[in-house]
Amino acid sequence: MEEEKKEHGEAEDTRWFDTFTRWMLVIMLSMLFAIFAVSKYMDMHNMQGGGTDDTVNAMASRLASARAHPFVNLPGDAQVGAFSVANFFAGMIVGHNWKKLFGKDKK
Amino acid sequence: MHIEDGILPAQACAMWYGATALFVYPGLREIRRRTRENLSYKPFLSMVGVAVFVISAMHLPVPVTGSCSHPCGTSLAAIIVGPFATAVVSSIVLFFQAIFLGHGGITTIGANDFSMGIAGGISGYLCWRLLRRFKAPLWVAGGVAGFVGDIVTYMTSSFELALSLHGNVPLTRQWLIFFAGYGPTQLPLAVAEAVFTAAVLQVMYNRRPDLLPGVKGTGNRPAITGKAEAEGLE
Repeated sequence: MEEEKKEHGEAEDTRWFDTFTRWMLVIMLSMLFAIFAVSKYMDMHNMQGGGTDDTVNAMASRLASARAHPFVNLPGDAQVGAFSVANFFAGMIVGHNWKKLFGKDKK
Repeated sequence: MHIEDGILPAQACAMWYGATALFVYPGLREIRRRTRENLSYKPFLSMVGVAVFVISAMHLPVPVTGSCSHPCGTSLAAIIVGPFATAVVSSIVLFFQAIFLGHGGITTIGANDFSMGIAGGISGYLCWRLLRRFKAPLWVAGGVAGFVGDIVTYMTSSFELALSLHGNVPLTRQWLIFFAGYGPTQLPLAVAEAVFTAAVLQVMYNRRPDLLPGVKGTGNRPAITGKAEAEGLE
């Protein structure tokens, strides 16, 4: 009986498509859908979709008569590579700590 | 609000670094003190840092203006871990965004942290405290904090640019010109940030109220975030 309980508990722990996962997927897919839909609309109406930061930085550069330039600049796809490496390890660390920190309080 | 390298003159960069240091230093002391009190505080703070990094790098398209911008997440961070700790977290976030994403710059971390981590965080935090003092519901206080923190961040950024670059144009006018560059796209995103902040705080209250300082019914001593903010809010 106890073994069965233990097995059941382990099954609960390893069930991957649980409520939390479902909610996360629902939120993620809703956000992605909204982004894709809005982007499609913007594309259809010939909107550039540039960042406001870039717009204002360009405006400020003209005023300052100086060219804005990143101090550290990774060329081309190297930026995606560096970001992916950082993302992967950050994701692992977040996952490792997540349950300890944000698991539902049993008390 | 990510001002790039090469736009602000060196004196302005130094001034904003100095102004930011005034908030980062007490933040570092606070983090050290709380880490001694509770070992879970540091990983928790790191999680908040990750959240701020992701939220402030998340460029969302706004069809009204045809451009993209991002929320900040510093109001939420300031409510959860405190405004001074948020100043520290934001400076780290801005450093990584500068080197990995080319957002902002190294010489402008002071200015960018002052707008996002300090002005945005503190204004949101003050709204939260004020509204909670007047017994506003948690989601209302959180929502207003998110909205105000977002807008104040961009107003401060515009001010930083205008202060250095206004030349012969009156400062207020130049400030408004820069804000006009951000404002129309930022307003809908500030509303989104309000909804997001309110939702996260409500979920935290439902799941783990001990992580949320200063909310009635969460006990006298929040498990991670420390006692200081709980006092005076109960």
